[in-house]
Amino acid sequence: MRAAAFFMGGAFGFLVAAARLNDYTVIHDMLRLQEPDVFLLMGSAVAVAAPLLLLLERRRWQTPFGGPLKVQRAPVTQRAVFGAAIFGTGWAVAGTCPVPALAMTVSGGGLGAVVTAGLFGGIALRDAIDRKKHIAPPAC
Amino acid sequence: MDLLPDRLAWYIAGPLMGLTVVGLYALANKPLGATTAYSQAFSFLRRQPFDPWRVSLFAGLVAGAFVAALLRGGLSWNLDYGKLGDLVPLAALVPLLLGAGFVMGYGARWSGGCTSGHGLRGTSSLSPASLAATGTFMATAVAVTALLNVVTGGDL
Repeated sequence: MRAAAFFMGGAFGFLVAAARLNDYTVIHDMLRLQEPDVFLLMGSAVAVAAPLLLLLERRRWQTPFGGPLKVQRAPVTQRAVFGAAIFGTGWAVAGTCPVPALAMTVSGGGLGAVVTAGLFGGIALRDAIDRKKHIAPPAC
Repeated sequence: MDLLPDRLAWYIAGPLMGLTVVGLYALANKPLGATTAYSQAFSFLRRQPFDPWRVSLFAGLVAGAFVAALLRGGLSWNLDYGKLGDLVPLAALVPLLLGAGFVMGYGARWSGGCTSGHGLRGTSSLSPASLAATGTFMATAVAVTALLNVVTGGDL
């Protein structure tokens, strides 16, 4: 299971960097609605993944390392929506998000490391609050 | 030597990213998402209990991006940050980006996912929470970017 996670994560990280999603200008232009490529990229990813996941679910797919397939679905909560609005604000300012910030860092971008450090801090703060309130954070 | 194109086209990168989401479900029954991977990697670094597969996912994300950088001609150390870097001096840019990262991390963890976990994995699963979260962060980010453009007199 760990190897599967490593290799799928590896492929994902590779593709993020190969498609230049770790470039501030690419994401900023996307969010200024000046270029459609990143929207098309995300749309095509979902267009490929959604029917395949539905098919695997319908076939009651037995995964080799994790038992019968169970695709997680969660109801809409205030938490999901408010958190997303806060995330979107940071995304707009930084012009990067968690995987691209890592990709920026490991390709030599020193300021990517600054964003990554901030991400770790923000995630750790929310984790600490959830632990204190004995809330299980929604897994994604 | 540069073995990768300057920018891999969306119609190749997008479907392949979709397949990584399907692949992790099909092989290991696990949802691909970066926010929880960050959270667990931080637990690992602090020697607290962690989900091993999520730490492996995090390590994979780093390794994959590193390989892409190597294939693109190696690491190039820089402090570039596009138009934002041109507009804001470095001494102010560092705290600004640290703060933006912090806000993003807090929001993503509160929401239960980011652009990967909600935006790709969750929408592909037709999860109502992810569809709502993705719509919200897309709309917010577009609106805040437009606002920044106005506030900076069109510089951003």
